[in-house]
Amino acid sequence: MNDAPLSGSVSRADLLVADDENLKAEAPLFKPPREQFLGLRGSVGRYQSMFLGMVGIIALFVAWEIAHVMTPENQQKFLPSVGQVVSKIAYLFTEKGYIADVAKSVYRIYVSFFFACLFAVPLGLFKGCFAKIRALINPTVGGLRYLPAASFVPLLLVYFGPTDFAKLALLFLGCVFFLTALILDNVEAVPKELIESAQTMGASRWHIVFRVAFRSAAPQILDSMRNMIAVSWTYLVIAEIVAATDGIGAVMMRGARFLHVDIIMGGILTIGVLGVLTDLSFRIAGHFLFPYIRARR
Amino acid sequence: MSILTEHTGAANHAAHEQGQASGEPPLRAERVTKEYLGGSRVALDNISIDIKENQITALIGPSGCGKTTFLRLMAGLEYPTRGSVTAYGKPIMGPGPERGMVFQAYTSFPWLTIRENVQHGMKIQGFSKAEQRDRAEHFLKLVHLDEYADAYPGELSGGMKQRVAIARTLAQGPELLLLDEPFGALDAQVTWEMEEMAVDIIERESKTVVLVTHDIQEAIYLADRILFFTRQPGRIKEDIAMEFKQGRRFAKKEELLVEPGYVDMEKRLYTMMREEIQGRIS
Repeated sequence: MNDAPLSGSVSRADLLVADDENLKAEAPLFKPPREQFLGLRGSVGRYQSMFLGMVGIIALFVAWEIAHVMTPENQQKFLPSVGQVVSKIAYLFTEKGYIADVAKSVYRIYVSFFFACLFAVPLGLFKGCFAKIRALINPTVGGLRYLPAASFVPLLLVYFGPTDFAKLALLFLGCVFFLTALILDNVEAVPKELIESAQTMGASRWHIVFRVAFRSAAPQILDSMRNMIAVSWTYLVIAEIVAATDGIGAVMMRGARFLHVDIIMGGILTIGVLGVLTDLSFRIAGHFLFPYIRARR
Repeated sequence: MSILTEHTGAANHAAHEQGQASGEPPLRAERVTKEYLGGSRVALDNISIDIKENQITALIGPSGCGKTTFLRLMAGLEYPTRGSVTAYGKPIMGPGPERGMVFQAYTSFPWLTIRENVQHGMKIQGFSKAEQRDRAEHFLKLVHLDEYADAYPGELSGGMKQRVAIARTLAQGPELLLLDEPFGALDAQVTWEMEEMAVDIIERESKTVVLVTHDIQEAIYLADRILFFTRQPGRIKEDIAMEFKQGRRFAKKEELLVEPGYVDMEKRLYTMMREEIQGRIS
């Protein structure tokens, strides 16, 4: 706007002549401020991330071990050491056929969850695609979500007794309504333009429901499943407490009856490990089912 | 472009060609009114207009003037409250492959490769495998994406994604191309490249095109005719033929800028736009 201040000062041309040699030489490396450990939305490398994760796990075990050591000796059986619990788990596997209990629990989780998906995926999909189906079903399913699964236990006992079916039914009821609601959200989040562009290509309604809406929401649906099966694991002990003879929960309840805290904690640890493995299996499935998500640039 | 006329695929395509022969305009709006919120908002007010064959018609106007609504009525994604919109004399009763649309948002299916995306519309319409392959190849070449045929949309830039959308829409063999701010989400340089590519493609494929844009330069560069919409209620304020272009389309945008009459046209449209905006403020 105003040239006056510039005309008096040294122009860039003068600088070029004066420091010619200097300008040609490579500039020293720029040192940006050091990244703070808790930089906002800072980056974390792959190995750093793994390291920090290990630190968290080890810290938990160290805290547990310290708590054990600090407990008075005559009370220590109520808070056994990490080593005692781990060796108890080993003992259960080698001497008590624990593997059959673990297998039974895994079977219950996966079978009940399979049927929950069989129910929730189409329901969530149709609710997300058809306003009238949504209006028909949503008030019912929405309300059922608020019933604690544990409150079904007496009812299921009366209906089915201490059978395997009662346990599967409880695990099913524990997650099916939430899963439906989550999948409805996933389907509703499909961009309107994807649906409309399919319409302008001449796609039929069913083509859009299954080949566009479902296909588009599929990675998010798998994510919802991953989150809900974690909830299913949390119901496992409730399901197996009641008149169960097998499964991890039953083993833990037997431990409780004889104040074997090491067995109870062993059960908790087993469920934790199995939960992590389940989560991992869903992530790996997503990796192979949706290769295009990895192909982001 | 023999490849365009030779396909035998869709049954409804035969119907289009009958329509084209009937002498009816590709699109006709007759006393079209579109109300929202039970009549408290009038997006379009009694609009009657014909879209001419093989022309590029641009709809411009201030934000919220109903130009996109008008395009969506033509696509069959919405229906008028009053009046009728017809394509080759037939009332539009829903979206269809004969009226292909490109959206501002990216609409490539992320789970399909670029080639599969381009073939998708043809697959729906029952083109043979060989036709799908040949036409996909042709249209991918046309938008310079043949090298990316096996990539996923997630790997492409915004401009490339819009080129996929254009190739996909053309491949389904539409009679009409409806473009809803197709370059609105792209940065200025990519927009400019895309505009030049669009001129080239539309010229080669000789299509009837309706383009919604908020960019005055883009409208003048691409269009043979501009419909200027007013806002609330949405009416056509002026129907402007780009006579200074004398029926030519320019491969390069700078060729247009030196054309006598260009500056006057741009000034006229900016003035109209300003009047509309100021009318709203005061």
